[in-house]
Amino acid sequence: MRRKLLFTLIATVFVSIALVGGNLIAGNKPSLGLDLQGGASVTLEPKGDFDTAALDVAVEIIRARVDSIGVAEPEIIRQGSTVVINLPGVKDQQRALEIVGRTGEVLLRPVLQSGMRNTDETTTTIAGQTTLPGATSSTVAGATTTVAASTTSQPASSGGLGSSRRPMSAATTTTPITSPATTAPSTTLVVAEGSVATTTVVAADGAATTTTVAIAVPPSVPQQDISMTNEPSKQAILEGRDGLVYFTGPSQADGQVFANDAAAQINNGSWVVAVGLRGGASGEDKWNLLAAQCFQKAATCPTGQIAIVLDGVVISAPVVQTANFNGSVQISGDFKEAEAKDLAKILEFGAVPVRFDSPTAQTVSATLGKDSLNAALISGLVGVLLVLLFLFFYYRRLAIVVLGGLAISGMLQWSAISWLSERNGLALSLSGITGIIVSVGVTVDSYVVFFEKLKDDVLGGKTLKNSASRSFDSAWRTIVAADTVSLIGAVVLWFLTVGSVRGFAFFLGLSTLCDIIVAYFFTRPTVILMSRSKWMNGAKMFGVRARRTDGGSDLLAESSTEGVVAR
Amino acid sequence: MSSRWGRLYNGETTIDFVGRRWWGFIASGTLVLVTLFSLLFQGLNLGIDFEGGVAWEAPVKNGLTIDSATAILEDNNIESRNAKVQTLGSGAGERIRVQVDDQTAEVRSAVQKSLADTAKVEAGEVSVSSVSSSWGRSITVKAIRALLVFFLLVSMYIAWRFEWKMAIAAIMAMVHDVVISVGVYSLLGFEVTPSTVIAFLTILGFSLYDTIVVFDKVHDNTGRFSASRVSYEDIVNVSMNQVLMRSLNTSLAAVLPVLSLLVLGSGVFGAVALQEFALALFVGLLTGAYSSIFIATPLLSILKSREPKFRSLIGQRSLKGDMAILMQTGSSVSRKQSARSGVDNAGTKVNPIDAVTAVLSHPPRPRKKTRR
Repeated sequence: MRRKLLFTLIATVFVSIALVGGNLIAGNKPSLGLDLQGGASVTLEPKGDFDTAALDVAVEIIRARVDSIGVAEPEIIRQGSTVVINLPGVKDQQRALEIVGRTGEVLLRPVLQSGMRNTDETTTTIAGQTTLPGATSSTVAGATTTVAASTTSQPASSGGLGSSRRPMSAATTTTPITSPATTAPSTTLVVAEGSVATTTVVAADGAATTTTVAIAVPPSVPQQDISMTNEPSKQAILEGRDGLVYFTGPSQADGQVFANDAAAQINNGSWVVAVGLRGGASGEDKWNLLAAQCFQKAATCPTGQIAIVLDGVVISAPVVQTANFNGSVQISGDFKEAEAKDLAKILEFGAVPVRFDSPTAQTVSATLGKDSLNAALISGLVGVLLVLLFLFFYYRRLAIVVLGGLAISGMLQWSAISWLSERNGLALSLSGITGIIVSVGVTVDSYVVFFEKLKDDVLGGKTLKNSASRSFDSAWRTIVAADTVSLIGAVVLWFLTVGSVRGFAFFLGLSTLCDIIVAYFFTRPTVILMSRSKWMNGAKMFGVRARRTDGGSDLLAESSTEGVVAR
Repeated sequence: MSSRWGRLYNGETTIDFVGRRWWGFIASGTLVLVTLFSLLFQGLNLGIDFEGGVAWEAPVKNGLTIDSATAILEDNNIESRNAKVQTLGSGAGERIRVQVDDQTAEVRSAVQKSLADTAKVEAGEVSVSSVSSSWGRSITVKAIRALLVFFLLVSMYIAWRFEWKMAIAAIMAMVHDVVISVGVYSLLGFEVTPSTVIAFLTILGFSLYDTIVVFDKVHDNTGRFSASRVSYEDIVNVSMNQVLMRSLNTSLAAVLPVLSLLVLGSGVFGAVALQEFALALFVGLLTGAYSSIFIATPLLSILKSREPKFRSLIGQRSLKGDMAILMQTGSSVSRKQSARSGVDNAGTKVNPIDAVTAVLSHPPRPRKKTRR
């Protein structure tokens, strides 16, 4: 029994220290919420009807944008359909709203040229598509004039992916189109060093990337007509997800030509994406108009590829394999399962774009945050010290158990918060810190319940040694009952509220759990072991007068009122 | 150690809580009435998170005053009549808070810049928060719904763990806490923010914890006294006195950090955000501690003493010395011998059968007397 208790105690202490140590070594530390470190916070709520898959995509878009502007430790939290975006260090609310407020849309653009992005510093040019029929006479496809025609064939042919062009087994698909864009950069696009023949050299996407990209833009196209930022009505140079760079024509349709039924499926052993077309002028007709141009490799679509562009990034650029689509489209390629599903999701998002409202936006000044943090920490520590002082006065040596328990509880909470900060983007907000400070009161409550029970028993004439274990059993029931109520509160709040209340619920739940763990695995063994030691021998050591030995109980039963209470 | 404090310290108080229950009920009734009136005539000072709107907070520096802040609003074509402009905190942490209706993002930025310019600080030093009114409404609805679900689940749990009458008493005490706290906020015109709501929820949990500890004791004692004819009021009184020190201790242990937050955090350091929390926590802790002693348990005794088992014993209370004996021995031995009794006879006449069974179940008195 004794050995078991000792083992429990040592294990608890060891595990707590190991958790803290592990987090320290891993470099995890609690990340601070916006109200403590300053920054901008925006809440987004989808407007009108939306689709869960589409919302996922929208959140991904926002995440990508936030990443691209290089905000340190951004926080993007989904709370039901609400999205909370915290951008620490961003001071301008308007800028934050610009970054995340507008949602991307899916555009369909004909691909004029595509090329590889250079990854090294030497500006190697890439060749556009030159072998396309009719390209020479066109104003757009004039790559021939400037580019060393090292490219000889269409990328589409490389994969031989057109092999899936045969009667489809899936009813929803009529005509496959292949998607070389999702395969590895195709070898048919030859990077010819020395053939520097570009008229413009542009860094793709302006921002973070410094990679130089060369696309041969025909001199006949005025510079200002080329958009680097996915403007639908202009030609645009866009990055592809596959590492290629695409020079695309003006957008001719958007994702809404598709029906809301995109699905990844297996066809002849490989993953394809099938999607229906909406009927009528805004759906099938629009798509077929574009598809026809590309199938014929007309001047407006010399590569035969249609770029599916999401938020300025070419997700996929399949080659059109038929002129006329009837009701549905199938995109095949060398997809992995995840890629196919991702594309399906994006098409779904395109079909039913999610529009956001931003019902709340907030910026907190960094100094204000720091002041709050300091004030909370200092006054919290002082408060805890006062509590300990009081307990020490009241329970004497038993207060050491409380000190130890608070330390264990603190270590557990710190570890959990640090770990979750790193993993789940949890941030410690002011309400969280307050919750933790207040939870000290709850934790102390558990001890008081236990200690008072212990005192009762000892006053009743039992020895400390005998009563410690029994008192705990009885106190344990009370603690569990009371903590269960706290947990119910935490869970209800977590599921039914949003924003800071929800964050608070988490910390309430966490501290309650720690309370239960510490009570059972630390307080119980410690007190029972202490009660057996000589050190605690003598009731005075924990604030109870010495046990009556003078037959006080007899006196008690027969005595008058005064005799009992005013001893 | 014979002082009052000494008795309290050793858990030997014999306070007749049940006998004084009307004090608590009358006091609480008055407070609830005051709350209702205050809500009717003054309403609640809801923050923008519940009503929607925009708020700026700028440090008081370089001639940024309430007047200049109001002027900035006028410059941006915002009706300054409807604006709430106030100063918060003190000393270095003193800030001006300007609160108006919903504004566009452009206006929000413009005012932020103007305020920053006037105070000669960076724009980032001026905090801005905006909440649309529909969002505010949905937050309020969600909070209330969460509260109701919480009440429901907790009463179900207490009913299952203890009994439904305890659930009713506990929930009544919680509702009491909410109402009184709302009353304090309405009466004193404090602003209700999400922090306030969070703080209240914490306190509800805390107050409930307190109540449950008392009820647990009552539960225990009901079992302990079940063999003897002890009125429910006695059980409650004994339990209350037994846990009184614990209640005071825990309340003190909880109030100390909160006081520290309030006095040190928001008073000395001037952290406004802390003030919101600490104030609500403080108000809530006081009502919570009060209600578990003066509302929850007396209510329980009223509900329970109507039960057949206890009905015949209504009004019988062992006071002072008798209560002490009851606490020590677990039975109300002294009643018949005590000069104070005499109620006992009346009680048995009301329901003789009940009395007989009770007497039969009684262990022989002499043995009890010398026990232990």
